[in-house]
Amino acid sequence: MLDRRQFIRNSLQSACAAGVAGVVPQLLLPPAASAAQDAVLAVRQGKEIPRLVRETLAAFGGMERFVHPGETVVVKPNIGWDRAVELAANTHPLVVQTVVQLCLEAGAKKIQIFDRTCNDPRRCYVSSGIQSAVEQIDSKRVEIVHMDRRAYKELEISDGKALNRWSFYLPALEADRLINLPIAKHHSITTLTLGMKNLMGVIGGNRGMLHRKIAESLADINTVIHSDLTLIDATRILVANGPQGGRLEDVEVRNTLIASPQIVTADAYAATLFGFQPQQIETIVAGHQRGLGEIDLSRVKQL
Amino acid sequence: MLNRNWRIFVQSASLLGFLWLFLQTEYRGTDELAYPVSLLFRLDPLALLAAIFAPGDSDLLLLWPALVLLCLTLVFGRFFCSWLCPLGTLLDFLGGPLRRASSSFVGWPKAKYYLLAGLTLASLCGLQLFGLLDPLSIFLRSLTLAINPLWNQLANGIFDWLYQADLPLVSPAADLVYPFFRDRLLAFRQPVFLLTLFTAAVLLLLILLERLQPRFWCRNLCPLGALLGICSRHSLLQRSPLTDCSDCSLCSSRCRMGATAGAAVHSAECIRCLDCLDFCPNQRIAFSFSKGEVTGFDLSRRTLLAASVSGAIMAPLAAAAPLTGSYRNDLIRPPGAVAEDEFLRRCIRCGECMKVCIGGALHPDLLRGGAFSLWSPVLVARLGYCELDCTLCGQVCPTGAIRLLKVEEKRKTKIGLAVIDRDRCLPFARGEECLVCEEHCPTGKKAIVFDRRKVLFGSEPKELLQPRVLTELCIGCGICETRGPVSGASAINIISEGESRTPLRLL
Repeated sequence: MLDRRQFIRNSLQSACAAGVAGVVPQLLLPPAASAAQDAVLAVRQGKEIPRLVRETLAAFGGMERFVHPGETVVVKPNIGWDRAVELAANTHPLVVQTVVQLCLEAGAKKIQIFDRTCNDPRRCYVSSGIQSAVEQIDSKRVEIVHMDRRAYKELEISDGKALNRWSFYLPALEADRLINLPIAKHHSITTLTLGMKNLMGVIGGNRGMLHRKIAESLADINTVIHSDLTLIDATRILVANGPQGGRLEDVEVRNTLIASPQIVTADAYAATLFGFQPQQIETIVAGHQRGLGEIDLSRVKQL
Repeated sequence: MLNRNWRIFVQSASLLGFLWLFLQTEYRGTDELAYPVSLLFRLDPLALLAAIFAPGDSDLLLLWPALVLLCLTLVFGRFFCSWLCPLGTLLDFLGGPLRRASSSFVGWPKAKYYLLAGLTLASLCGLQLFGLLDPLSIFLRSLTLAINPLWNQLANGIFDWLYQADLPLVSPAADLVYPFFRDRLLAFRQPVFLLTLFTAAVLLLLILLERLQPRFWCRNLCPLGALLGICSRHSLLQRSPLTDCSDCSLCSSRCRMGATAGAAVHSAECIRCLDCLDFCPNQRIAFSFSKGEVTGFDLSRRTLLAASVSGAIMAPLAAAAPLTGSYRNDLIRPPGAVAEDEFLRRCIRCGECMKVCIGGALHPDLLRGGAFSLWSPVLVARLGYCELDCTLCGQVCPTGAIRLLKVEEKRKTKIGLAVIDRDRCLPFARGEECLVCEEHCPTGKKAIVFDRRKVLFGSEPKELLQPRVLTELCIGCGICETRGPVSGASAINIISEGESRTPLRLL
């Protein structure tokens, strides 16, 4: 059986051949494996972040459940804004650090951390505290990198409703495992920004254009990018003036982490932290309709 | 080692040093720059003059190296031009191959003194034009606006091509060295500027003029050369003999400055390059600290007066134009810029702020700020925005045209105001949701809010979120204009209304 990476390689190679003939390359992913599984979710609370991350992952039997020895891993936190840690605009650096450490312990061959930021990338990486947190790990297998402008590729979205093609960041698609580390925040156009929206950080193009049909566009994007684990940082959440915040008044400390192999299941639970029902959030509904996870929390098995 | 080799070594070292400082003129992970990157302009006596003549307080402490340079010139003569000046070095290195073995062209060595007189009087009377002709400004401006973009374009083009082509051996080798280039020698983003071609053309012209005469620029036009020449005339280190010997005219034909030729003010033209020590067949030439004869400054009083009066008249003439702010609103200056009149009198068009601008927002002006605003920095928000917590432009400005702001102060400094163009803004013009401007607005309590409105779009009723700018909160950073998703010109634009530096021009 082909592994995921091999499959993408093969698809891209045949796509390149097709590309010569003037056809937009198409990435044929196998249907998301998670759709067939039971919806599972782990929610943990605690004040000490490294321990909290470990406890949350332990609910699934540890990071070994998601990352196997010798695999390449991309960890995708939200590093979108030039904001300090306490302002809750970016994923907490300790969450990122601990997840990377767990990947190392699980035997990952190479771990890359990146995000396509909204403010200047250098400032975001520094101000978020994520760059120094990752560099502290000091392992040759770990690198935090800026996006390589050469590695974007326009791909066809075969099941697209709002989009039929978009530019994607290949290193995120080609890694054996993609771990999605969003922070839960308010967002005025999508109400909330959670796991699905965080993956906008591995696409190219004029992202602002997606706002016009944001729910279906995000679902389209998410049918192409498959994440193996979504771990939502709700240690502190941004309840207003999102997604970049800037005022401590808008930050609420919740000391919570939410994890699920299914992106929509994690998002659905996270919505409740803000007092919403998952059904009220359009992006979550659209994602559910594409088979990206369970929206009805009563049918989700909490670990 | 020959004197010439020493000089070329020092010239190269100086050029490389300034190039290294240029590469450090960039955000490198700390809010404050680690090096005095604008050292070149702190050394610049013309920048010092501009700062002294400008209204308002000048931080002359910042410009003390220029005084040191003047003092050194009083001792060693015009050595700066042949040993340190990066433009002179470029002309020697790039123009050298163009130079003819002999040329009968005499040039106008006195023109630069008249030019300096005109510029000085103009500057005293309120029109500062040193920056246009300052050789150090020409150098750094060309580097920022033309050479660096070209270098990045070429290097990235080659690396990108090798990356895509995936050639055996070559491509992996390129990938191996790429991180070094990316992190040390290339810009974080491909620099793009307005006026690149024009700026490059000026530099190219100066290089091509080498064909007419070696160091044509330095001999005939350079106002800094003229200023240093005046100091050099009475300097302690002098060459003897001052003119050609009666039996030999090798100096006249080989001196790059024509310093021994009849028409020249010899001690002011000699740039102490010491080449003549090497080429004199009879070892008759000596440089010594003994005070010899001083040649007269044979300037025409009439021309000097005409130049000074022209300069003095230029200022009120320029001031007779309508104020930019009275009829247009697209002149956005960097945060911390002083009031427009003082700003133009301080800015020496060096391009340091444009080089350091993290958002690629600052561009050289052509006409927005009037006829004499050429090459001064303006914020073009569609091309780049002002990063909220960045204070780099104020850190590099050598003359106080852009004041150094603390981050807290910077966050509150209004450089303009965002206004929505409802004919193009998606929710207004096409009934589509967007709010990209609101998403990016950085002011904490957002300066762009939205109203939920029920609108009849054609015959179709719709409920839409429509953006609205809160005038009192907007600081004009321009990220909304940069990121606005419509193609071409943005549907939200920064105008200069209400900027902090001109408090009277409120709505």
